[in-house]
Amino acid sequence: MSLRDLQKKFKKQFSDFFEIPNDVMLDLPKIVLVGNLQVFIENHRGIVEYTTEKIRVKVGEGEVGITGDRLVLRNIKTDEICVEGQIKSLCFLAPGEVW
Amino acid sequence: MVLLRLFSFLLGHVSLVVRGEFLEKFVNMAASRGIYLWDITRLSNDRVRVRVRISDVRPLRHIARATKSCFKIVERRGMPFMINRMKKRKLLAIGGVFFLVTLYFLSSFVWFINVTGNDKLSDAEIKKIAAEAGLRPGVAKWDLDAKQVERNLREKIPSVAWAGVYVKGTRVTIEIAERKLMQEDPHKGEAAHIVAGKAGLIKEVLVLNGQAMVKEGDTVLPGSILISGEIKEEMIPEETNQPLPRGQEPPEPQTVSRFVQAKGIVRARVWYEGYGECRISETLEKLSGQQKTSVRIKFGTKEIIISGPGESPYRYYEEKQTVKSLPRWRNIVIPVELRTVHYLEKIKERVHYGREGAKRIAEQKAMEEVNAKLPEGAKVIERRLEQVNIGREEELVRMKAFVETVEDIGIMKPFKATEEDND
Repeated sequence: MSLRDLQKKFKKQFSDFFEIPNDVMLDLPKIVLVGNLQVFIENHRGIVEYTTEKIRVKVGEGEVGITGDRLVLRNIKTDEICVEGQIKSLCFLAPGEVW
Repeated sequence: MVLLRLFSFLLGHVSLVVRGEFLEKFVNMAASRGIYLWDITRLSNDRVRVRVRISDVRPLRHIARATKSCFKIVERRGMPFMINRMKKRKLLAIGGVFFLVTLYFLSSFVWFINVTGNDKLSDAEIKKIAAEAGLRPGVAKWDLDAKQVERNLREKIPSVAWAGVYVKGTRVTIEIAERKLMQEDPHKGEAAHIVAGKAGLIKEVLVLNGQAMVKEGDTVLPGSILISGEIKEEMIPEETNQPLPRGQEPPEPQTVSRFVQAKGIVRARVWYEGYGECRISETLEKLSGQQKTSVRIKFGTKEIIISGPGESPYRYYEEKQTVKSLPRWRNIVIPVELRTVHYLEKIKERVHYGREGAKRIAEQKAMEEVNAKLPEGAKVIERRLEQVNIGREEELVRMKAFVETVEDIGIMKPFKATEEDND
């Protein structure tokens, strides 16, 4: 067990104890899906790949992958992305994983 | 979100097509530098379209250089661009502003006045009074005192119980509530006779006040007195025990008149007569329901046909036209008017009724004529129809209708009491 894992575990326990939201403490993305039409991803680290069928967004550790049809980045700010289109799937990828 | 869009519209935004190898990097860099990008769409493998505010285009240039990509502006939107375009077309802009100012200016006058709620009073009468108080077409709204007009209407016209003046845009509605005036007897208490309104044979006389002048079975002519308002009473001379001097006649019985308003019901039999005729066969004109409309502008003496036929397309027709002309101002008459002419097609039809059918129609016409004459409350006793023969055969059936009714024929007629009242 590395120091990093220990640190992570401590943070988790700390946030659970003080009831601090996990996404703030652990630097996790907050994802809101509106049906299959819209995805909001808060707390992102930038886009890795963007085509009309596939979008990969870097978050904390790892990536969020979105597949669908006619995908459009409705807007992009420093910590928020909004994707619109016909969304088919959304998955979490480990860093370096090939999708 | 809407607010954000409005904001970017006011500031102005452009659509860029970015061409390059590392477009994700371009977007990431822009986002991390706080440049707001939206509507990012992939066009092809190496091109995306993004929207960005004008003020962010310049920093994007550096990012493009750093990511080895280039961009081209394909669309410009928002206020700054519109203003730029307007600068090239100054006259259009001035025209637009002038239009708005004129519209605003003209909308601050009263142009139309509506009167509602009036029953007995005419619109023109009310408008005249309103004009005296300063409400007339063309008056500025800031000069109009609605309360003053209302008060004026109430004071000047006694039968107005309430008046409301509402300004709605350029239209003013005057709402009137009329007082229900009680129909007062104009001859109340005055001496009056009851006279016959029409000729008839008296059937019954019921006197409530006054002196009956006719009795059952009498024939009266219009205007003859039925119940007199003058009641003659005999003065009984004082009884004197002294014998009358010789050679002196007993005094004439003196009468004293008392004047009252005669009241009573006089029923009489009245006859009415009606006449109707119908041809055995005749040509009728009927509207076929077909019509053509033509619209014309008349300018002075010239007439320009805008649509529809210039002449009637039908052989038999009726013409109806409405003319709309511009309102005259002072004594300037604008000689332009819009005329709409409707041509209604007519069909001529020959109808053969036959002697029986013609007779029925003539009867009907005669009865209708009689019925129109009958007053309300008349009791019909007898109806009789009679064919009129003029001695020779003709293509015409003439019918006469007789109706006998019993009705109250009394009409009040006041008179001046000439003699002194005794009571």
